Amino acid sequence: MSLDDDLAAWAASVRLPDTEAAAIFERIVRSPAAASSSSPSVLPARLDPSWWRHFSAGFAARMVASNRPVRVAA
Amino acid sequence: MGTFGPAMDREAEFRRLFEAHRIAVHAYFTGRTADRQSAADLTQDVFLRVWQRLDTVTDLPDERQRAWIFTVARNLSVDAHRHQRTQAGTEQALALARADPPPPASAAVIDAERVAVVGQAIARLPEQQRVTLAMAIAGQLTSAEIAAALGVPAGTVRYRLSLARRALAAALDRYDDPREDQ
Repeated sequence: MSLDDDLAAWAASVRLPDTEAAAIFERIVRSPAAASSSSPSVLPARLDPSWWRHFSAGFAARMVASNRPVRVAA
Repeated sequence: MGTFGPAMDREAEFRRLFEAHRIAVHAYFTGRTADRQSAADLTQDVFLRVWQRLDTVTDLPDERQRAWIFTVARNLSVDAHRHQRTQAGTEQALALARADPPPPASAAVIDAERVAVVGQAIARLPEQQRVTLAMAIAGQLTSAEIAAALGVPAGTVRYRLSLARRALAAALDRYDDPREDQ
């Protein structure tokens, strides 16, 4: 055998088998990550703008309430 | 070309890219990791990114699609687990290389042994030579294609191939005539 023959045999021994390649292909196109990215032109849904106002108001109210002195029971 | 109608068109376009480049990408990672399974895992990671950015890739001219894919391949981080497996595989190959020579055998066995000797010698090559050789032999890419994929001059690719082949020829000479080692 020449070096080229040996290299060709080595290449055949390390090459990704077709069955394994087919399995990789299927895993990619059927994966949940792939499905979620299959429509890249569709923007993800955004929160309603009023969400931030409600959150801010609720957060401020909780902060104020939490800083009130604790009433000591008589 | 960047938008797709039915999902099947998208899948067909991805299949075209996958079939066009999977052998070369796997060969690249075979050279990088010296481990067939790690190479398969990393090949999958690369093509998952291709699938996720399919519009970007298909918008590129054909000659730049390979460059994009290999940029992803080069940038892909090899995590510690894969690194450990690579190290273990390389050490195992080196340990085999140091083993005592086997007794005389049939022609078919000798051929298999020569291929094993070549594989062990490839595992011992400097990484740049190993990657270049793997892309040329297992990946079936020309020097110009390898140069474009790796971002190096074609002359550098040819030089690395020449060094690698010289090292492999020397390893086979030592196998054919062990007395040369003494």
